[in-house]
Amino acid sequence: MANPFSLLNGPEDLGRGPVFWGGAAIVVALFLAVPLYLSDFAAYNVSYYLLNIPMALGLCLLWGYCGVLSFGQVAYFGIAGYAYGVIAGNFVGHSWGPMLGSLGGLVMAAIVAAVFGYFVFFARVQIWILPILTLVLTLLLETFLGQTAGYQWRVGVVQLGGYNGMTGIPAFQIGDFVFSGYSFFYLALGLALVCYLACRMLVNSRHGKVMLAIREDALRTEMLGYDIRVRQWLVFVLAALLAALSGLLYVQWGNYITPSQVGLLSAALPVIWVAVGGREKLLAVVIGTYALNWLNYQLSSSGNQYALVIIGALLVIVMVFFPRGLVVSLADLAGRRSAPSEASTARVRG
Amino acid sequence: MDVIGVVASVVYQFCTNAAFLLLCALGLIIILGMMNIINLAHGELMMMGAYAASASYSRGAPFWLAAIIAFVAVGIFGAVLEATIVRRFYGRELGALVVTWGVSLVLSQGFLLLFGPFMPPIQIPEGNIALGQYSFSYYWISMFLIAALLVAALWWIYNRTDIGLQARATMQNPAMARALGVDTRRIYMMTFTLGAALAGLSGALLAPTTSIMPFMGQQFVAPAFITVVVGGATNVIAGAVGSSLLLSLVKTPVGFFLGAFLGTVALLLAALIIIRLLPDGISAAIQRRLDLRHRMR
Repeated sequence: MANPFSLLNGPEDLGRGPVFWGGAAIVVALFLAVPLYLSDFAAYNVSYYLLNIPMALGLCLLWGYCGVLSFGQVAYFGIAGYAYGVIAGNFVGHSWGPMLGSLGGLVMAAIVAAVFGYFVFFARVQIWILPILTLVLTLLLETFLGQTAGYQWRVGVVQLGGYNGMTGIPAFQIGDFVFSGYSFFYLALGLALVCYLACRMLVNSRHGKVMLAIREDALRTEMLGYDIRVRQWLVFVLAALLAALSGLLYVQWGNYITPSQVGLLSAALPVIWVAVGGREKLLAVVIGTYALNWLNYQLSSSGNQYALVIIGALLVIVMVFFPRGLVVSLADLAGRRSAPSEASTARVRG
Repeated sequence: MDVIGVVASVVYQFCTNAAFLLLCALGLIIILGMMNIINLAHGELMMMGAYAASASYSRGAPFWLAAIIAFVAVGIFGAVLEATIVRRFYGRELGALVVTWGVSLVLSQGFLLLFGPFMPPIQIPEGNIALGQYSFSYYWISMFLIAALLVAALWWIYNRTDIGLQARATMQNPAMARALGVDTRRIYMMTFTLGAALAGLSGALLAPTTSIMPFMGQQFVAPAFITVVVGGATNVIAGAVGSSLLLSLVKTPVGFFLGAFLGTVALLLAALIIIRLLPDGISAAIQRRLDLRHRMR
């Protein structure tokens, strides 16, 4: 087992060495000090930007590090959110209800991803099939959830609610402590940090090296004795779990979920965060996700109808002119100033 | 008498489902087969076709003329899209998927802002044949005939014209085709234009069956993608026809007994099972058969 600190400081992500970690510590400290300078409401919004980070990290692992693109991460987001709503909503009044609901959401998402992934990865399908089938899955989920209006669509005492969605979902609690306001902010911040650091350790581990090898040359990796089907399948399930975690946090944050959360527009968002940040680096994805969620909130809260046009155009422009992502391109530029030889070996990939 | 009616009704359902899937997928599968690129803006191109048809229909053009206008207009848009954006992504399949998705977001939201949430509807062209207690609409019967006609025209273009020969050469081995003097860039551009134009035509033809809205493309996306996944990219025409017939075989009974939504779910499950058995789609299986027969001769 490698030293965990050397794994964290490994080469497969942006930023190494004491200067980087010092800067990172300052940023984390600024986030920890949020109650000192942000109101309850502003912290509530920041929680929303943070809770999307696990889902984006999962897609980053899948697309950037493993070379497998999924358009359907929101399906697992939605499955976990709905499962939590049903389970926790049926055990209102029990302090362990939200805990059981969270567990149930993660398990449900993992089961769906495992079954779906089995068919796709073990069939060794061509590279463009997975994005399309995952998209179809999430569209069907939206259609299904949309027609669950009415009293006959209920599980226990919880109604699924059709297009109006499920409301009154209980907040998360451990024992008798209910997470809301600043405490929920710390929960989202803590989980986003843990997920980021864990992913960073993963990509620098042995398994991470094999993932990169599959992305670079699947056939050669297979000839070296690795079962690429199992590896891709495992990363797919892990990405689904991360998306499910975001889904859980989302329903615990807003106490509601609607079918549009698994619709076509929602499905596009994680792909945009990851593509615009830079899919090959975890930290770039974290920054991109946070920045784009902030931007989206600013655009739509000011009543701007062009929010989606702007976000879509941003995706097209980044894909055409900065195919490796904005944050990665900027980091490359900064890196080239200080160390020209290292940055010049970077390659552009499709 | 009633037996004939039931049989005719089942055949009619089967044909309309197959025609619907084929019309949804044809433009997509042509582009996929040639360039290995999935055009995620396909649903929005169909939406544009419906918009063009609605705009000309409400100004007094007959339905067939409106459909032709949609074919031409969306084809021109496709050529522009190819020249400005898609061209940069040849050989980068995932990049092309993502960038066309960005295009689709801009198109659907842009159309909402430009033209508002609704366009004037197009009446379903009238007329029915009655057989016993069942009646069959001329509109859907002609959709099936048009789908068959489009396939025949494509077959003729690919197999009987010089352009088609060059296109098939480019599909098999682009480097060798270029070495032999085929302008592959032009072939790619023409293919993308044709695929977009066919999407526009399908959007116009299917427009009477639905309300014409900026996000209407979404409802065609799932069936189109499933048809393409099952069909595969090895042989465009065999894939499109084989896959839409096979999937109609799945969808017709399930949809008949359990409803339209479960019919679509059955399509997804069928697609998962079929690609588990035939990872390259049924077109690869058909092509193997054809090659084998060719060699035996």
